[in-house]
Amino acid sequence: MSGAPVISVEDLHVWFDLADGGELHAVRGISFDLHPGERLGLVGESGCGKTTAILALMGLLPASASVRGRVLLEGSEIMAGGEDTISPHRWKDVAMVFQGAMNAFNPVQRVGKQIAEAMELHGTATGRSARLRVAELLELVGIAGERQDRFPHEFSGGMRQRAAIAMALACDPKVLLADEPTTALDVMVQAQILELLVSLTRDLGLALILITHDLPLIAQVCDRAAVMYAGEIAEIGTVHDLYADPRHPYTRLLFAATPDIYGDDLVVSIPGSPPRLDHEPVGCPFRPRCDAFLERCDTVAPRFRTVAPGRSVTCHNGDPA
Amino acid sequence: MKRRGPVLQAVLGEWQSRIGLAILFVTLIAAVFGQLLEPYGIDQQVGGTLDPPSSAHWLGTDGGGVDLVTLLIAGARVSLIVGFAGAAVAMVIGGLVGVLSGFFGGKTDAALMRVTDYFLVLPDVPLLIIVAAIWGRSLQNIVLIIGLIYWTSTARLIRAQVKSVRERVYVRRAQALGASNTRLIFRHIVPQIAPLLIANTVLMVAQAIFLETFITFLGLGDPSAISWGKLIENSFKDDAVLNGAWWAVVPPGLAVTIVILACTLVGQSMEDALNPRLRVGHLSVRRFRVRPALRERDGA
Amino acid sequence: MGRYAAKRIGFALITVLVAITLNFVLFRALPGDAVSALRCKACTAAFRAAQRHDLGLDRPLVTQYGLYLKGIASGDLGSSLRTEAPVRGAIWEAIKNTVPMVTLGTVFSIVFGIIAGVISAWRRGTFVDKITQQTALAFYSMPTQWLALLIVLFVAGAVGLPTSGLADPSIDILGDASTWSILVDRFQHMVLPSLTLGLVLYGDYSLIVRSAMLETLGEDYVLTARAKGLSSWRIVWRHGLRNALLPIVTLVALSLGFVIGGTYTIEFIFSYPGIGYATVEAIDQRDYPILQGIFLLVTFSVIGFNLIADLLYPKLDPRVVSS
Repeated sequence: MSGAPVISVEDLHVWFDLADGGELHAVRGISFDLHPGERLGLVGESGCGKTTAILALMGLLPASASVRGRVLLEGSEIMAGGEDTISPHRWKDVAMVFQGAMNAFNPVQRVGKQIAEAMELHGTATGRSARLRVAELLELVGIAGERQDRFPHEFSGGMRQRAAIAMALACDPKVLLADEPTTALDVMVQAQILELLVSLTRDLGLALILITHDLPLIAQVCDRAAVMYAGEIAEIGTVHDLYADPRHPYTRLLFAATPDIYGDDLVVSIPGSPPRLDHEPVGCPFRPRCDAFLERCDTVAPRFRTVAPGRSVTCHNGDPA
Repeated sequence: MKRRGPVLQAVLGEWQSRIGLAILFVTLIAAVFGQLLEPYGIDQQVGGTLDPPSSAHWLGTDGGGVDLVTLLIAGARVSLIVGFAGAAVAMVIGGLVGVLSGFFGGKTDAALMRVTDYFLVLPDVPLLIIVAAIWGRSLQNIVLIIGLIYWTSTARLIRAQVKSVRERVYVRRAQALGASNTRLIFRHIVPQIAPLLIANTVLMVAQAIFLETFITFLGLGDPSAISWGKLIENSFKDDAVLNGAWWAVVPPGLAVTIVILACTLVGQSMEDALNPRLRVGHLSVRRFRVRPALRERDGA
Repeated sequence: MGRYAAKRIGFALITVLVAITLNFVLFRALPGDAVSALRCKACTAAFRAAQRHDLGLDRPLVTQYGLYLKGIASGDLGSSLRTEAPVRGAIWEAIKNTVPMVTLGTVFSIVFGIIAGVISAWRRGTFVDKITQQTALAFYSMPTQWLALLIVLFVAGAVGLPTSGLADPSIDILGDASTWSILVDRFQHMVLPSLTLGLVLYGDYSLIVRSAMLETLGEDYVLTARAKGLSSWRIVWRHGLRNALLPIVTLVALSLGFVIGGTYTIEFIFSYPGIGYATVEAIDQRDYPILQGIFLLVTFSVIGFNLIADLLYPKLDPRVVSS
């Protein structure tokens, strides 16, 4: 991974206002870089802030949210002005495939029209050329181009998911965010979609962030992975390194909790549940579930530190400081 | 059962529904203890025709010289009785049809829904006229008519709910364990749809009070019962409008409006609490905020 | 499409038949019969018997039903007991007056109801939303006849519009009034009843539109549309309202059917000689043939509007046909 990152996130925080006047600190300072053609997996239990983090990148947070931090798109800051500075880049530079893309299409509009809508808006293509481009995109994801005149309900679940990917590619984005793109699909279709995502990044030089709670999926698709816990990145590194040499106890336990169809290792679950984030946790948020805690874990929050090139971890273990 | 929490919370938590509850409570008090509060008799002539408000008669008198405050309080009683009883009849018929239709499905469902569809397109007014002509003009009959007209919407709502509840795992499990249909309906399904049923009843009370004023205005009401609808009708018949006697026109209609508003506010906040889809809005005029960077904290 | 439409039309036809039969049964089920219920001072026993014979009420029910169906098929709805004029003519006169008035009020309420409902949902939770919603709720809660009385009492004088009748009886007394001034006069007489109807329906419609919009604005495709960078305006219009139209059309069509004959109290208070006025008068005089005719008319209009909504639906929602 050489060259400049296409997107880099620096110390991103997201808070949500709560009805009782308090706040929920959903994303608590995450940082990572993403290079063209790279596939980064964002993995963690539900509620760990992974979806919130990428919705922030898209500028799609609700009004109850507030953010802090820097997001650099090819070196220029886009987060400073909130939605106003992000929205020009939406879909054009950063596009997204939503969780449950089954409902990502307006049921009363033809699929092709919805794909073309984004192109026309960003001036990429209009009219006849937009139609051609839509057909091209659909064929790219394995759907016959003339199907663009169909309505969403005439597509199967897998086709709709492919069409959602085609829609995301409409304006040749540099970064594709995919939030659980294969949930609710059967295994065969799931495999096809993942293959598609891999080939797209390979052929188009697209950078991909894949969000999932499914570790094997990350292993199958991604080069690197960020393990998120309680709104922080517990550990980030290449998928191989994380598997072979986990530096964070959570990463280790997460791999241990994943069944391996070849091995007959015992699958262990991680006891306990993640902390609530409506109050700032004291010490390390993973401390109550950790099996390798130190004394300072109770009081001092570990920092996010680089332990090797491209490898960072938020854990006191092995931290001399 | 689990849903009761948010519903109660919604009803007691929002100022709109709290105001609604307060209004309903006050009206209920007026209706129950009305006779003690009424300063005069409802057919006691205490003044001239359409006397303007005075210290003795705060809202003046009607065309027959009867004190309007007295009539207004008496009207609360009749209007509320008709409202609640009419809503209850609609709920019972609609609830029964809805539960049977949604629970048994298939042919029962098709037949019942067909009947419901016919009733839905049947115009209310001719039905009112005919029923009033056949059964005679009495309060009980008005209650029955209101029930007959309004049960259809309830039936459809309840049917849809029952259909979805019926497919839930625990209902299927109970059925697999050999629970009888009666038990399934009363133990598992009715408690689940109860909050919605209550919300619907509250909204229905409003509709019933509304319809009563209408029936009465058409001259099909109980001639001897003093309801708010009757007072509106009287104000028209007594030419209160021509005489500029706003005190005879405004109060009864305002009372109806306020009570209906109260029911609607309460019923709607319950319904909204039961509809989680309404809580999500992807389009808002307001946007998320960006907090200034805290350089010093970054290093900490 | 063909099969769907055929099914809907079939249902409408069956409903019409049921309504016609119900109409027959209901009116025959009246205590005594229509003639004995007739309120008139000059009605002697002999007159009543003659009337009864003319109406065919002395024949067996089955024969009566046959005659009744034949009458309807040929457009003959009998004659008024009171004026002895044919029902069809009387109803036609009334419709001619009602339709323009109702159209004016309905167009007003649909236009403003949609605008207010959309804005309210879009600006959900803001001051504008609250004001709009409370206003709509207030109009929704007011008894129609009371609102009409209030308008006569407080608005009519202030704006100087007539509150009674169809036209100024003196306008063409010399036969020299221009068509234009007659039209203006007619229009002026229409404004207040239309306004009353419009306000009542406005409350209803804006609440329907608001809640339908709120439902659609919570859908995933709205979030997708936002992600695509569409302007709020376009999202509201193309993705929000376009989908919200489905429930709106159903509810509006249902209410429109009733509106044709649903202006009873409004027309009565404004002495506007339309269907509503004719109904109230007929109720008062127990003029059953007229009532029967109006009943049929209203039922047909309800069924008709529902059919229109049903046939419109596949155009609005492509999912309808295939499922």
